[in-house]
Amino acid sequence: MRSRRSTLILFAVTLLAASLLACSERHLAPKVPQAEPLSSAVETLAGGDTEGYEAAIEPREFVFPKDHGPHPEFKTEWWYFTGHLEAGNGNRFGYQLTFFRQALAPDAPQRTSSWGTRQMIMAHFAVTDVADGSFYSAERLSRAAAGLAGAEGPPLRVWLEDWSITSTTDEVFPLRLRAESREASRFGIDLTLESLKPVVLHGDRGLSQKGDRPGDASYYFSLTRLQAQGEVTIGERVMPVTGSSWLDREWSTSALGENQTGWDWFSVQLEDQRELMIAQLRLTDGSVDPVSHGTLVEADGSTRPLVFGDFEIEVLDTWRSDHGAEYPSRWRARIPSADLDLFIEPLIADQELDGSFRYWEGAVEARSASDTGERGLGYVELVGYADEASSDVDGG
Amino acid sequence: MSVLLRRAGRRHLVRHPWLIGLSVLGVAVAVAVVVGIDLANTSARKAFLLSVEGVAGRATHEIVGGPGGLPEEIYATLRTRHGLDDLTPIVESRVALPEGSQRTLRLLGIDVFVDDQLRSFTPRFRGDGSRGDGDPTAFLTQPGAVYLGEALAQQLAVQSGDSLKVRAAGEVATLEVVGLLTPPDSLSRQVLQDLLIVDISSAQEILGTEGALSRIDLVLPLEDVAEHEAKLAQLLPPGAELQPKSARSGALDQMTRAFRLNLTALSLLALLVGMFLIYNTMTFSVVQRRTLIGTLRALGVTRRQIFSSILTESALVGVVGSIAGIAAGIFLARGLLVLVAQTINDLYFAVSVTSVEVPVSGWIKGALLGVGGTLLASLKPASEATTAPPRKVLTRSDLEQEARLGVRRVSMVGFALMAASALLLLVPSKSLLLSFTSLFLFVLGFAALVPGVTLLAMNLLGAPMRRLFGVLGAMAARGVSTTLSRTGVAIGALVIAVSVTIGVGVMVTSFRSTLIDWLEVTLAADVYVAPADPGSVGGAKTLDPDVLPAIAADPRVASLSTIRRVRVGSQLGPVLVAALGTERPGFAAYRFVRGRPDDIWQRFRDGAAIISESFAYHHDLAVGSSLELATDRGPQSFEVAAVYYDYGSDRGVVTLNRTTYDRFWEDPALFSIGIFTRDGVDHERLIADLSSRLGERETLRWVSNRDLRQASLEIFDRTFQITDVLRLLSVMVAFIGVLTALMALQLERSREFGVLRANGLTPRQVWGLVTAQCGLMGGVAGLLSLPLGTALAALLIHIINRRSFGWTLQMEVAPMILLQAVALALAAAFLAGLYPAYRLARTSPALALREE
Repeated sequence: MRSRRSTLILFAVTLLAASLLACSERHLAPKVPQAEPLSSAVETLAGGDTEGYEAAIEPREFVFPKDHGPHPEFKTEWWYFTGHLEAGNGNRFGYQLTFFRQALAPDAPQRTSSWGTRQMIMAHFAVTDVADGSFYSAERLSRAAAGLAGAEGPPLRVWLEDWSITSTTDEVFPLRLRAESREASRFGIDLTLESLKPVVLHGDRGLSQKGDRPGDASYYFSLTRLQAQGEVTIGERVMPVTGSSWLDREWSTSALGENQTGWDWFSVQLEDQRELMIAQLRLTDGSVDPVSHGTLVEADGSTRPLVFGDFEIEVLDTWRSDHGAEYPSRWRARIPSADLDLFIEPLIADQELDGSFRYWEGAVEARSASDTGERGLGYVELVGYADEASSDVDGG
Repeated sequence: MSVLLRRAGRRHLVRHPWLIGLSVLGVAVAVAVVVGIDLANTSARKAFLLSVEGVAGRATHEIVGGPGGLPEEIYATLRTRHGLDDLTPIVESRVALPEGSQRTLRLLGIDVFVDDQLRSFTPRFRGDGSRGDGDPTAFLTQPGAVYLGEALAQQLAVQSGDSLKVRAAGEVATLEVVGLLTPPDSLSRQVLQDLLIVDISSAQEILGTEGALSRIDLVLPLEDVAEHEAKLAQLLPPGAELQPKSARSGALDQMTRAFRLNLTALSLLALLVGMFLIYNTMTFSVVQRRTLIGTLRALGVTRRQIFSSILTESALVGVVGSIAGIAAGIFLARGLLVLVAQTINDLYFAVSVTSVEVPVSGWIKGALLGVGGTLLASLKPASEATTAPPRKVLTRSDLEQEARLGVRRVSMVGFALMAASALLLLVPSKSLLLSFTSLFLFVLGFAALVPGVTLLAMNLLGAPMRRLFGVLGAMAARGVSTTLSRTGVAIGALVIAVSVTIGVGVMVTSFRSTLIDWLEVTLAADVYVAPADPGSVGGAKTLDPDVLPAIAADPRVASLSTIRRVRVGSQLGPVLVAALGTERPGFAAYRFVRGRPDDIWQRFRDGAAIISESFAYHHDLAVGSSLELATDRGPQSFEVAAVYYDYGSDRGVVTLNRTTYDRFWEDPALFSIGIFTRDGVDHERLIADLSSRLGERETLRWVSNRDLRQASLEIFDRTFQITDVLRLLSVMVAFIGVLTALMALQLERSREFGVLRANGLTPRQVWGLVTAQCGLMGGVAGLLSLPLGTALAALLIHIINRRSFGWTLQMEVAPMILLQAVALALAAAFLAGLYPAYRLARTSPALALREE
C-alpha cells in the first residue's frame, strides 16, 4: 500500500511539472453563433441613404460635350450601349455594353492612398449570336481608383480594366467601345461609333420622372442612332461587322418609388429612320405606373414626348428562364398618335443576364402588326421579374 | 501450463506494484517528452504554413517586389492593359496591439471587389452577399474600417461599431470595426484567428506604404503552368518577380527545419534514457524471477513460452506507459508550444499559434516509440532468461558471473559503436540526420563502456573504502560489482541523462559567451535609433531618412552608420540583404573569419558583398565566389569579398555597401541608425535631447548600446528556455530510472540484509551500507558523465550547431556545470536509496530470512 502511494506521488510530480509548462496556454473564446447573412452588397450599395447627393428635381440645362462625362455628385449614373451588328456573311449579333458609376458615399475624407475612393464602377457586357442562338454575358465590378476603373471627360473615357469607351476627340464622337470577356467562352467587341442624330432629351427637357415624389427622377438623354463599325469576336472567330447602336445616358440619386416592382424598357430603331423609346414602370399590384413615359424621335431628329395613355403595350407570350423567372417575351405595342402598331419579338428567347442581379436585356425585332410595313430592330430590358432582382442600379 | 504462467506473471506484478508502476511511469515520461515535442513542433509548423497557405486561398502564385514592395501600377497594368484576371493586390504586415500586449495580428489589405475570387473568408461584395454581417460601403470608403472574424472580435472584446487601436509603422492607428466575418470553413476559422482585414487603401495609409503593394496573389492554371509563368514573367518590369506560393511556405519551412530537428533530437535523447530504464526494469524483473523461471523450466515450460510471457509483460508496460505518455504529451505540448512559438517569433518570423494540433500520426508515433522501445529493451533480458539451462537460471551467482564475463564483450561493442560514430562524423556532409545518428551511436557506445568502467572503479575503490569505512565500506564497493547486471544498466542510464544536461548546458553557455563577445564587437555604436516597433527582420517598418541630418547636426555626435535590412530574391531563394552605410571608412562592427579588414574594405567600397558565416556555410560560398541578387535593375552579380561572424540570423546575411545598394535598388529607407558619440558624452542625455528634439517623430526608438546588448541577451535566454525545459525533462526521466533501478536492487537484497542483520548488523549500519552503495553508484555515474557530457557538448557545438545554423561557437566548459552534474548524479542516487534503506532497516531479520 505504501509503495503504491509513492508511485502516485511520482505521477503527481510529473503531472505538476507538465502543468506548470502548460499554464501559459491561452483559452480560446467559445464559438459564436452564425450571424445573419448580409443581403446582396449591390443592393446595399444601391439602396440606402440618398442624403448628401444632388437630386434630379427640376429640368437642367445640358451642356455638351461636358454632360457626356461623369456627374459624381449624383449617386448613380450609366453609359448604356445597345446595338445590332451584321457580319459580311449576313450573321447578326446583338450587343450590350454598360458602365454603371455608383457613389458609395456622398463625400469622403482626403486620402493619401491612390486606392481610396468613394466611387465604384460596374460593367455589364453581353453579346447575342443570333445565327447560333447563343447569348454570352459577363459582369465586372471595380473601385474607381488606382487606374483600375473610372469615368472622366471630356474627352470621355469610362473604363473598367480592359473594357472601355473612349472618345478620340473632345467632340465625343467617334467613340471607341472595347470589351472582351475573360471567360472560357471568349466573346468581345471592338467598335467605333459615329452619331447620326442629335441628342434626344427624354421626359420634361431631360428630366425623367420615375416616382411621385420630387427627386424620384433622373436626368436622361439618348443618342438614338449611332453608326457602328468594327469587329465581333466569338470564340476563335473574329468578324468584321457594321450596324447601328443606341446610347442611353442617365444619372440620378433617388431610388424607385416604394410601390414599384420593376420596369420594361423598349427601344426601337425603325427602318423609316424614326426611333421609339418607352419606359414602362410596373406597380406592385401589376398595373402600370402613370409616370411611365416614352419618346418618339422623328427622322429629322425632332422629338415628341409620349405620356401615359399615349401608348399601350400588350404581352403576348412569356418565357421562363433556367433560374425560374418568368419574363414577357412577345409584345404588341400600339402608339396610335404615331400611327404605330408593332409586334416586338426577341431574336432569341434566352437573353437573361445572371450577374449581381438578374434581368433580361435582349435584342428584339419589331414588325408592323398592320399593313403599314414598318420594321425595326431594338432592345428590350425587363427588370424585376427574377427573385433576386433588385431595384434600381440598372435601367435604361 | 499457460494458465500457470499467466498466474505466475500476475502474481509477480501484484507483489511488486511499485516496480511496475515505476516502469510505466518511466515509459510514460519518455513518451510524453517525445510526443510533447513532436506535437509542439507540428502545431507550430502547421500554424505558420497555414498562415501562408490559408491566407493564400486559391492563389497559386504571387508577384513580389523589391525591398520597397511592388509598385502598385503593375497591378492596374496587368488588369487593364493585359486583361489578366484571377489576381488580387495585397498590402500586408504584422501590427501589434498597443500597450501591454505581446500579441501581434496580421493586417491584410485587400481589394474587396476581387478578393473573394481567391479567398473564401474575406468580405464579399457581390453575388449572394457577404459572410457574416457588416457594412461593405463603410469598409470601402472609411479610412481604417476593419472586418475581423467573430472569434477574434470576441477575444479582443470588440463589436461592430467599436474602435480598435493597433501599432503599426511606429504609430498608433485607430481602426473601426465595421463588420464581423463568419468563417465558411475550418481553415478560414484558423486563418481568421489573427487577421484584421482592411481595404487596401486603409492598409497603405496605416502602414505608410502608399504607392506600393506587398504582393499580387494570382491563380495560374495547373496545366502548362511553366508556359503561363514564362508568359506572365515577361510582362513584369525588372524588380518584380513571379514565384509559386509554395516557394514562400517552403522557405519558411526550411528556415525552421534545423531548429525543429534539434528539438526532436533532444526529445529522442530523453527516449533513449527511457529505454535504458525499461531495459533495466525488465532485466531486473527477469533476474528477480530467476528461481521461478528455473522452476518453471524444470517443470517443462518451453523457452518460447517463457520468452513470450516476458515480452507480453513488457508489452503491457509499454502500452499502459504509452497511453499515459501520449495523454501527458498532449498536455505537455501546450506548454512547449508556447516556447517553440516564442522562439520562432524571436528568431524567424511572426507566427501565432493558439492551439495544439493532435494529428493521428502523433499518437501513432508515440505509441510505436513507447511500445516498440519497451519491447526492444526487454529482448535481451528475455532471451537471457530463456537461453540459459534451467539449472543455471536458478543460481544468481552464475548470472552475475556471466555479467562480469560479458563486460569485456559489451565494452568491445561500446568501442565499436564509438568508432562507427567517429567514422560517420568524417563523412563530408551537412546532413543533420547523419550528425544525430553519430551522436546517438556515441552515447550508446559510451553507455556500453559503463559496466566495464564501473567494475574497474569498484575494484580500485575496494581498498580505500575499506580504509575509510571498514568492512562495510568494502562491502558497499563489492556490492556494486557483484550486482553488475543491474548496477551497470542503472549507472549507464544515469550517465546518459546527466551527460545530456552537461552537453546541452555547455553548449548553451558557450553559445551565450560567444554571443556576448560578438555583441561587444557588433554593437560598436553608442546609441541606436530604430523604428518604434520591434518589426520583424526585413519587415515593412523603416526609418525616414530625413532623421539622419537632424541627428548628425548635434555636436556630440561624431559619426553615424546606417543599416537597411531587406529580403531580396536571388537564385538561392529569398536572402536577407543588409545595406551598411557608414561615414567612417573601415568596419567598426565586423569581425572577419579571414583577411585584413583594410583590404576587404577596399573591395566592399567598390561594390563587393561581404557575407555572414552561416550564409557562406548554407550556400557553399567562399571569398571570391559570386552571388546573384534580384535588384530593381534586374539580376545583378556581386563578388564575395569576405566572410564575417554573425549570430543574428541563422539563414545568413549578405551585406552591401549603402552606395552599392542605392545603385541597384530604389529604396532610400533605413532600418536603424548607429550613433558614434564623441568621448565623454552622456548617452542618456543625448538620447533624451535628440528624442525631444525629434519629438514629433514618435516613430523612433532610442536605445543605448548597453540596453540593446541586454535586450539581445534576453532574447537569447528566451530562445533557450525550451532547451532548458528539455534538459530538465531528461533529468526527470533519468531520475525515475535511477530510482527504479536502485530501489529494485536494494529491495531485492532483503534476504542478504536479513542474513547480515542476523549476524549483527544494526539498522543504522544498514542505512550506511545502502547509502554508501548508492553514493558509489552516483559518484561513478557523475564522474563518467563528465567526459561523455563534454564530448556531447563538443558534438553539439562543432557538428550539430554548425550543420544546423552554420555558426562557429567558442566552446567554453564552465566548471560550475560539471560540478552541478556530479551533484545531480549523487543526489539522485542518494534519494533513490532512502526508501530501500528505510525498509531494509525496519525489516526484522527473521522476516527477511523466511523468504527461503
